[in-house]
Amino acid sequence: MTYLSHLLIYLNIYVIVALGLNMIVGYCGRLTLSQAGYFAIGSYAYALASVAWHWGFLPSVALGAGLAAVLSMAISLPSWRLKGDFFVMVSLAVQIVILSAIYNWYRPEAPLGTLRNLTNGPAGISGVPKPDMFGIKFDTVGSLAILATVTAGVCLLLGALLLKSPWGRVLQALRDDELAAKGLGKNVRLFKLQAFAIACALLAVGGALYASYVSFIDPSVASLDQSVLMLCMVVIGGIGNFRGPLVGAFMLLAFPEVLRFLNIPIALAAEVRLMAYGLLLVVMMHFRPQGLCGSYRIE
Amino acid sequence: MTSLTLSRPFALPLETTSSPVILRTQSISKAFGGQRVLDDVSVQLRRGEVVLLRGDNGSGKTTLLNVLSGNLEPDSGTIELSADGTEERFTFPRRWWKTLNPFDHFTPDRVAREGVGRTWQEIRLFSTMSLHDNIAVASSGQLGENPLLVLVKNSAVRKQENNNLAIAQDMLTQLGLGDRGAASGDRISLGQSKRVAISRAVRAGGQILFLDEPLAGLDGTGINQVLGMLEVLVRDQNITLIIVEHVFNIPLLLTWATTVWTLKRGRLEVQAPDDVQEEANSDIGTGLRSWITELGGPDGQINDQPIAGGAMLSTVIPSGRPRGKVVLEVRDLVVYRGNRLIIGHDHDGEIEGLSFSLREGEVSVLQAPNGWGKSTLLDAIAGLTPIRSGEIVLRGRSIKSMSPWARAGYGLTLLQSRNHEFPNLTVKEALHLTGHVALPDNLHRLLGRKMSDLSGGEKQKLAIYAALRTDQSRVRLFDEPLSMLDRVSIHELQRVFKPSAGEAFLIAVPGSPEILGVD
Repeated sequence: MTYLSHLLIYLNIYVIVALGLNMIVGYCGRLTLSQAGYFAIGSYAYALASVAWHWGFLPSVALGAGLAAVLSMAISLPSWRLKGDFFVMVSLAVQIVILSAIYNWYRPEAPLGTLRNLTNGPAGISGVPKPDMFGIKFDTVGSLAILATVTAGVCLLLGALLLKSPWGRVLQALRDDELAAKGLGKNVRLFKLQAFAIACALLAVGGALYASYVSFIDPSVASLDQSVLMLCMVVIGGIGNFRGPLVGAFMLLAFPEVLRFLNIPIALAAEVRLMAYGLLLVVMMHFRPQGLCGSYRIE
Repeated sequence: MTSLTLSRPFALPLETTSSPVILRTQSISKAFGGQRVLDDVSVQLRRGEVVLLRGDNGSGKTTLLNVLSGNLEPDSGTIELSADGTEERFTFPRRWWKTLNPFDHFTPDRVAREGVGRTWQEIRLFSTMSLHDNIAVASSGQLGENPLLVLVKNSAVRKQENNNLAIAQDMLTQLGLGDRGAASGDRISLGQSKRVAISRAVRAGGQILFLDEPLAGLDGTGINQVLGMLEVLVRDQNITLIIVEHVFNIPLLLTWATTVWTLKRGRLEVQAPDDVQEEANSDIGTGLRSWITELGGPDGQINDQPIAGGAMLSTVIPSGRPRGKVVLEVRDLVVYRGNRLIIGHDHDGEIEGLSFSLREGEVSVLQAPNGWGKSTLLDAIAGLTPIRSGEIVLRGRSIKSMSPWARAGYGLTLLQSRNHEFPNLTVKEALHLTGHVALPDNLHRLLGRKMSDLSGGEKQKLAIYAALRTDQSRVRLFDEPLSMLDRVSIHELQRVFKPSAGEAFLIAVPGSPEILGVD
């Protein structure tokens, strides 16, 4: 039961991440590699606020989401002019900047939570408390699974409302043909700002949930591997509609679990998993570029 | 086809009308790389006016369209807009402090919100969206475009959205597409797409519409439908139109237009339609048919072969020499696209393979309505589209199992209607990749320019000369080579569409025999 609850928590985190990433990749048509950076911003904001400043669960999550939304301008402003390879390069640069900031924004002698030590550097932040809301402490795997499910449900509901609204339709229009969307009077700059901010906030919510579950975070959450993994999720599941990323999140959760039953030595498991992801990506790009359930092909 | 009679929205001359001026430009100039494309252009536009914008290739038509629709900032001059009732004035070059506000730029979306709409040659419907959504997305003032309101005022958003979708459905019904609302933008015919694109621009609040070749590629029925729609817009909604059109279609518009803007080397001259009527008619004779007739010379013959679906294969047989050997033979060809039969049906739609042949030294012109499958046929011959059954024989050898590059090596050249250029290469570099191309003197001036800087007509001319390069090709296929070309270029092409002794040309053009004067 604990094992299933654990899987459910990860599934919910992946669903939130895929939902946010789909807004950028599937609806704005911009391939990005900075998602792990925004996920880490949510994780670190939550950890810092709850460990160093003793904030509650909701304010800590809100801090991470708000911070990620503001910092999304690092990629949304370049998206006004750039797309394709150039935008990927910018997003990669943002990813590296965030990772470097997490590694280096600390002094061993300074206490955590001060301006001189915001991240604890390579040592990471441990002892991140379990969520505590309205007098209820979510300190078991089962209760956390319920919280993660409710959080993912709320995110999905908000995401569905937004993406199926005229706002989501304008995003699809500017993805299909930005010039034509401009010709209809749509302020595509504003729409991109909004979409990237909401997407990055969702990534940060996923990051906060992750930090609250594992109780320890270090700079590896912001690594490029994580970004690629998240991207695989939406590319394999399919982008440009609502169900594709959900399928992708499930696939990427189920895939390592299947490998677990193949008795591959632990030392090799991670490499085999990465290799399998790579192979899966190549196969998908060749035979089904729109993903398993997607409605849009990445050019 | 019954011809459409259009009546002018204004009594001429325009100065006598009381219709307000809604767009005025003063001394607009624009240069690219030192070459002045627009030179001191000053015009004004009245509500309900129908303007025909014409000019030779490279004269600056597209640049003027781009400037007036906000896609390009002029180097100097002033643009005043009052299409939506409030006056907006843009002076160029813009002051530096105006550039600091990212939401106060001279951009297409800003100009569109002032009531200026536009359609493009390549149509640009949103391909992954339904026709309903293609029109509904254009609605202005949508509450649902604000993500916060979507969450906190969802019922009001939904109510307005249902209303917008109902209006979209009404517009589609008026276009005869009432039952196709759920179809995506890339699943309807060219003529239907053009009318949906115009409806979309109107739904976006466009009071001034810039239409870039709205009749191009359409057959007689399609032309009538688009013109009928435009006339209703001008008559009932007092919408102002600026139309750029292909030389073959200009006479159709001259009876209706209230003003003609003629661009010559960047200078704009405002003329009355009646003043250019004679010139326009003499430019093109009686249209495509006379162009085909002139290909054969004074004593040449034309052999017309009707084909099911309203198409006609007209073969130009030069006088004074025996007919050449068959170089390409198509026998019982059947081509499907998905589950839809495209090529190879009889008048009742039953399967009957298409057969025809091309002979050495002859030009054959395939005239067929939109959606007939002209491009599919040429692609099938070139090996770019698979065939279901039938035989294609080139120089006595079956080529149906050959790859496209093997067919090219065996003597087949195809110029596709959508040219694939190399935008970052200069013309000289691009031509080096093509092989030995004999350019006429008047195109040598383009050699140093980048492909992306050329006008649509200039690119088309280069593509045609590239397709006529000196090589081992025996059959050259041209898909809509006359589109985007001005009258001078079209006449010039009559001289170059002369196959040598061992060659045959097949030229596909939109049209139907009835509008070409063929009984």
